[in-house]
Amino acid sequence: MLRLLIWGILAAVLAACDNDASEQRPISATQIEAWFHTGQAGERQVIQDQVARFNRLNSDVQVKLTLIPEHSYNAQIQAAAIAGDLPDILEFDGPYLYNYIWQGHLQSLDKLLSTALKADLLPSIIKQGSYRGHLYAIGSFDSGLGLYARRSKLQQARVRIPSSPAKAWTADEFKVVLQALAKSDDDGAVLDLKLNYSGEWFTYAFSPIIQSAGGDLIERQKYRTAVGVLNSPAALAAMTQLQSWLQSGYVDANVDDAAFITGRVALSWVGHWEFSRYSEAVGDDLVLLPLPDFGQGSRTGQGSWVWGMTATGQRAQDAARFLQFLLQSEEVLAMANANGAVPASRSAIAQSKLYRADGPLSLFVEQLTGGYAVPRPQTPAYPVITSAFQKAFLDIRNGGNVQAALDKATAIIDQDIADNKGYK
Amino acid sequence: MRGGLPAWLFAAPSLVGLLLFVALPFVLAIVLAFTNLRLGSPLPLEYVGLEQFRRLYNDDAFFHALLNNATFALVVVPLQTGLALLLALLLNHRLKGMAWFRTLFFMPVVFPLSLVAVVWVLIFAPGANGMMNGMLEVVSLGTWTPRDFLHDPLLALPAIMLTSVWQGMGFQMVIILAGLQAIPQELYEAAAIDGASRWRQFWNVTLPQLRNTLIFVVLVTTILAFRLFDQVQIMTQGGPHNATTTAMYEAVQAAFARQQVAKGSAITVVLFVIVLLITWLQRRLLRQEREVE
Amino acid sequence: MKRRSLINALIYASLILLAFCFIAPIVFMLVGSLKPDARVLVEAGSLSAFLPEQVSLQNYSDVFARVSFSRYLFNSLLITGSIVVAGLVVNSLAGYAFARMQWRGRDWVFAMVMMIMIVPLEAIAVPLFYEVTLLGWRDTYIVQIIPFIANAFSIYLFYTFFLGLPRELEEAACIDGAGVLRTFITIIVPNAKPAFATVTILTFLTQWGAFLWPLMVTSGEAVRPLPLGIATFYSLPPLQWGDIFAFGVMMVAPILVVFLLFQRWFVRGVAATGIKG
Repeated sequence: MLRLLIWGILAAVLAACDNDASEQRPISATQIEAWFHTGQAGERQVIQDQVARFNRLNSDVQVKLTLIPEHSYNAQIQAAAIAGDLPDILEFDGPYLYNYIWQGHLQSLDKLLSTALKADLLPSIIKQGSYRGHLYAIGSFDSGLGLYARRSKLQQARVRIPSSPAKAWTADEFKVVLQALAKSDDDGAVLDLKLNYSGEWFTYAFSPIIQSAGGDLIERQKYRTAVGVLNSPAALAAMTQLQSWLQSGYVDANVDDAAFITGRVALSWVGHWEFSRYSEAVGDDLVLLPLPDFGQGSRTGQGSWVWGMTATGQRAQDAARFLQFLLQSEEVLAMANANGAVPASRSAIAQSKLYRADGPLSLFVEQLTGGYAVPRPQTPAYPVITSAFQKAFLDIRNGGNVQAALDKATAIIDQDIADNKGYK
Repeated sequence: MRGGLPAWLFAAPSLVGLLLFVALPFVLAIVLAFTNLRLGSPLPLEYVGLEQFRRLYNDDAFFHALLNNATFALVVVPLQTGLALLLALLLNHRLKGMAWFRTLFFMPVVFPLSLVAVVWVLIFAPGANGMMNGMLEVVSLGTWTPRDFLHDPLLALPAIMLTSVWQGMGFQMVIILAGLQAIPQELYEAAAIDGASRWRQFWNVTLPQLRNTLIFVVLVTTILAFRLFDQVQIMTQGGPHNATTTAMYEAVQAAFARQQVAKGSAITVVLFVIVLLITWLQRRLLRQEREVE
Repeated sequence: MKRRSLINALIYASLILLAFCFIAPIVFMLVGSLKPDARVLVEAGSLSAFLPEQVSLQNYSDVFARVSFSRYLFNSLLITGSIVVAGLVVNSLAGYAFARMQWRGRDWVFAMVMMIMIVPLEAIAVPLFYEVTLLGWRDTYIVQIIPFIANAFSIYLFYTFFLGLPRELEEAACIDGAGVLRTFITIIVPNAKPAFATVTILTFLTQWGAFLWPLMVTSGEAVRPLPLGIATFYSLPPLQWGDIFAFGVMMVAPILVVFLLFQRWFVRGVAATGIKG
């Protein structure tokens, strides 16, 4: 038996060596390494096609694409950085940008992209990609967060249907809506908060209600402390509201991720990525609404995966060509059509069936351009901020004391900033 | 047999491996626990003395983690060992199909923990749709109200315990079975001649003969209990309210999610000392017993 | 005799009951892998969790379409296989040196090896990562193989097994004038099959599921093993449980084969090595 195993392994090794040999082709052009997240099947297909197209069009620069699973993406970047193995150009989740800049991994894109191209991009994209006056990262799409609803159920419950972010439900009104919906619901659970998701989702989806109430994750002038901001009365009020929805049984645990499409709930608090699945299941009955207003106007999340560059000199120029290519309207549109995200440029939005002014998702564009979307804190402390907030959210979700949870998160954040000498 | 040079040559390859890939990194981890090292930080590395340990001492989550590890060990070790012993005793009868049953009970062991955890997340799904809820409803004749096991502060740790027992029990069972089969048949025959009942035989022959086996099983399970990580990571992420966090989970969170390598190292050092202490204590107690005998 | 058969019936009854509890999650997974994704969870609370209405291999073909399963499988086989084979060689030699040879510092070194047995990989992952990075091993097969070949637990198992072998074996060879290595290969190894089987199975089990380490030291799918392949399915909602289960079934199948092939030896090995105390 052992002999069989050994022979098997030997054969396998030989096969592997064979493989490697056949893969090596002589390359005269510059090879640019690029990392992309594994993503959904559609996205993956598009980026692979885009790379192939780019490589066909440019004989002197060839892009070599590596797909990285989202799972622990940051840990993988950190590991590669220590090893000096970062690719020339890579994608990562937007809010991690500032930490990577502080660690010294990224180069500024200021001189690498044309002004015409930058002028065409959504202001939210530029804002998220900038740090201390320089542009470091650009995404070819942005995200949108809102409430998907079944119109017929809202009408049945006789509640107002907000038509724009300015007319969003107030928090009190929202509670009444939940009550009204719950009355005619089998199990009383009428709201899906995507509790089946984990990690970054909690910060992305629920820090906007704190901002809407007048609080935040951290003070945004100097990013020095979270005291009096994340544990402020405003933040406390917002998170207490959220906890009351959970404790009143309005929220579906959504373990099967099908609460909305199977009709168990009337409302689903989620991003643009669910549109195609939802509209397929619900059809014309689907309506997209802004998140409730907790006092200072409706606020929502923004930001998504972005491209940043580690390369310098000529390689940077070459990598920038690839980035420019990805940001052409057709390419932006191709990607946005595949993953359903908001196209990053105005010219692409104008051509998008989903996002143009009369499209079903135009609300997301309105939120991004009308000042309703808040970027996540632009500080190297973000990985710790989000990890602390996620923990606080889980505590609150599980019925813990809200003030205590926020105080704890605040302390963790301030400790981290102190440990890092203010992230100067 | 005399050794000298050949002995060193025999031992060298694996000793070098252990030295390079376990001992050296471990010594490094101990050193790092006294610094402020963060993954990727551009700040200079500083010696901070016992600061990391001082923080751990005041760290609520770490306290809960150790408590959970201890609870886990106190429940799972006897439960799993008891169940494994029971199964092994049943399987030790020379009846048809025993090899089949043995294979069956061992099956969960071949499942990687990460896969096991995912399957059990679905088993513990909340609502009447969940398998565990559905089963309890049938067993309780409809009086059970569905619970959200993995988000319930009281049920989350037991849920993880159950998962772990399911996965780990088969291994202990095989070990104990091997121990049972090694007991000389004459001992039982002698006891039977003395007129000892089956129960007395178990008490006076089986258990004493299994002593070393059981000690080994308990020791290994205790060590594994203090290493508990995969199930927590996938099933509960330490929640709710630190009800399921463990030392290893805290260490990995610190080092990989928050890039606080120094803190992670400090946790592992504390953990190592605790496990070493437990091992030493157990050996110590056993040795004393042996001397009494 | 009547009493005897009553006891036997009781034994069978309790075994069957327990077996049902143990097998249920596995059947759930197997059946789930044959169902459309959406039905897996909906039916989990009822008997249909174990009885698919229509059987389809769609999930299996989805797995092959979504990731290069054969690549992951090949990588896992290569990595785990190499660790097992190399580990058998070096750890059995060391176990023999500790059990049967006299050399200065032996007991002291052995105590150190026993201490090392307690250190979990997670505890040393970061420093070890720095180390292999310095060696320039990132993103290769060897970085997933070399550090795990030497294994304190395997040494311990061989050690106790060799202790239990009758000394006459070697003495006969000694009279023959055979060298130590030849004695080991021709006399000891053939008599130690159960120990080798046990170590093979245990090493295979631990390495096959390795997740954290490959995640840290590899990027891209060229050299990544199966557990990282399945992670691709966890990270993106909506989770397709059917696909995950199908992947799971295919991931477990090779270990099951290894176990079934070696299990006879395994049980004997456990009985003869130190595991049983």
